[in-house]
Amino acid sequence: MGADILVVAEHKDGKVKKTACELLTVARTLAAARGGKVLAAVLGPGAGQAAAELGAWGAETVLVGEAGFEAYASLKWTRAICEAAAARRPAAILMSVSSLSRDLAGRVAARAQAALASDCTALSAEGDGFKIVRPMLAGRALVTAVHAGPGPLLATLRPNVFTAEKPAAPAAGTVEALACADDPRDQRVVVKSFAAGGGTRPELTEAAVVVSGGRSLGSADAFKVIYDLADALGAAAGASRAAVDAGYAPHSMQVGQTGKTVSPVLYIACGISGAIQHLAGMRTSKYIVAINTDPNAPIFKLADYGIVGDLFEVVPALTEEVNKAKA
Amino acid sequence: MKIAVCVKLVPSTTALIRVSADGKALDCTGVEMVMSPYDEFALEEALKARDKAAGSEILVVSVGGDGAAKNLEQAYALGVDQCVHVKAPDADAAAAARCAAAVLKTFAPDLVFCGRQAIDDDQWLFPGMLGELLDLPHVTAASSFALSADNAKAECKRRIEGGEETIEIALPALISAEKGLNDPRSPTLKGRLNAKKKTVTVKTPAELGLDAAAMAPALKVEGYAPPPPKSAGKVIAKPAKEAAAELVKLLREEAKVI
Ligand SMILES: Cc1cc2nc3c(=O)[nH]c(=O)nc-3n(C[C@H](O)[C@H](O)[C@H](O)COP(=O)(O)OP(=O)(O)OC[C@H]3O[C@@H](n4cnc5c(N)ncnc54)[C@H](O)[C@@H]3O)c2cc1C
Ligand SMILES: Nc1ncnc2c1ncn2[C@@H]1O[C@H](COP(=O)(O)O)[C@@H](O)[C@H]1O
Repeated sequence: MGADILVVAEHKDGKVKKTACELLTVARTLAAARGGKVLAAVLGPGAGQAAAELGAWGAETVLVGEAGFEAYASLKWTRAICEAAAARRPAAILMSVSSLSRDLAGRVAARAQAALASDCTALSAEGDGFKIVRPMLAGRALVTAVHAGPGPLLATLRPNVFTAEKPAAPAAGTVEALACADDPRDQRVVVKSFAAGGGTRPELTEAAVVVSGGRSLGSADAFKVIYDLADALGAAAGASRAAVDAGYAPHSMQVGQTGKTVSPVLYIACGISGAIQHLAGMRTSKYIVAINTDPNAPIFKLADYGIVGDLFEVVPALTEEVNKAKA
Repeated sequence: MKIAVCVKLVPSTTALIRVSADGKALDCTGVEMVMSPYDEFALEEALKARDKAAGSEILVVSVGGDGAAKNLEQAYALGVDQCVHVKAPDADAAAAARCAAAVLKTFAPDLVFCGRQAIDDDQWLFPGMLGELLDLPHVTAASSFALSADNAKAECKRRIEGGEETIEIALPALISAEKGLNDPRSPTLKGRLNAKKKTVTVKTPAELGLDAAAMAPALKVEGYAPPPPKSAGKVIAKPAKEAAAELVKLLREEAKVI
């Protein structure tokens, strides 16, 4: 095991995702502590374009897999990452929690004989190894654990928990091809098609601000007040399971244990009681705002700011104030 | 077809779990233990696949302490054919995947179903790892699953950032279940009575050829902590318009988040 840190950087058509910048920021600290270098692997259409930006964020070497990586394919992606890991022998491999890492990490860990720690909210160098903190039991407990080999650590990091900071000076960002020959066995699982949905708002799991509505909205049409505030803030829109089960919002908007985990800088819960399973999906948000008619709603225990009141009055007033403040 | 399902026993989602005074352990005494909810979707999908392909059988594996027996009784009540309990109370998700792989290697399944995540340690780790150990392709968090007419492949849907993928996977394959994949059935009275007559095969990791190194935890746990306490928030008790104006001011000037 070497001292380098390998970051699997996600991008969209060549534009580096914010979550990848967060990983690179953490990777720089870890590499400095271990006396190693930051490596980035970037795969898929547009990967080459992302390389310069990854250098600016501190990647000394950028392993680019573009030709032959047309669409996401778990078996080929696994092979590419594991071959890079076998050749470079990093001390740790970092990914962000996303659909991609949820699909890949277990497989990569098994093949690369890495110890996997999922959904970490803290990661530091510790002696010859690493120390992680991760929530478990839907956030009811935090576990601290140390890794000391023999293989590398594979850590997936929760988005928005680690602050992305650019280094004072860019790193070389030297591009090297990540060659990975085709294997017909990769065709055992293929993505046939992709149906875009979700519209123009930011992705829930990556958004800096999330506005969510609960059962008390009462209908799909009423969710417009949530969408209006979300749009004024440039935020993603979320929902409680009760709202989703009632058909007021699509499942893709569900926040919580059986939905998505979000960790934005600002989470605004409108007419949501704050059941433990909802908290599981948003309790690591930096600032939490609760708007609820019931001053005893459990959500207020977690809220930094609360308004006791009717969301149908408070939320449109907030939208108006936000628009005024922006003007 | 040979169909396998992996199920885990976990504390119920509403259970109050305390961290021991020294922070070294979680105290689950008196906590209700249940089958991890996603595993119920996995079991149901296996039952549906068996109904479709005549002559199929279902094997259920659970790795864990003695309590796993409860899980397996539930599986028998639903009508599965065989249950194996690997007795390994301290196995982490990776060690559990190795145990399941050892059991399933001899069974040689055409289909393996898991839950997307076990709701105790929330790792999302076991299915991908098991897929790799058995050299099976996998789909994570499938929200739909449809076998082809000849049972040679399946089409799955998976929700990802910005939309939904349609995935084609060739059997033998491993699928992890998302909520809503199906509507799990409840055991019938007859099923429950039948379950009493069935026996669970119990194995130890050693009997499966797994040594101490294979069962060693991937990371060494140092301790547990409850989520950090939140200091009391500011409650704004004013009419809607004034409250909204004050909140926006606080978010801009105090929290500096908008
Ligand atoms: C296994 C399991 C998994 C689950 N997973 C999830 C999950 O992923 N996500 C999730 O959210 N839930 C989940 N749940 C459900 C969870 O337990 C709650 O039932 C759910 O979160 C409640 O949603 P709610 O807050 O919208 O509704 P309620 O609990 O009914 O709360 C509505 C709130 O709105 C307030 N209110 C009413 N009218 C107004 C108004 N005009 N203005 C302002 N406030 C108003 C009320 O005071 C109340 O606090 C899960 C449950 C189980 C058992
Ligand atoms: N100890 C175990 N025994 C059997 N199956 C398990 C075990 N741990 C995890 N699984 C399976 O893997 C899925 C995901 O678990 P995890 O990776 O731990 O989040 C679960 O829903 C189960 O189907």
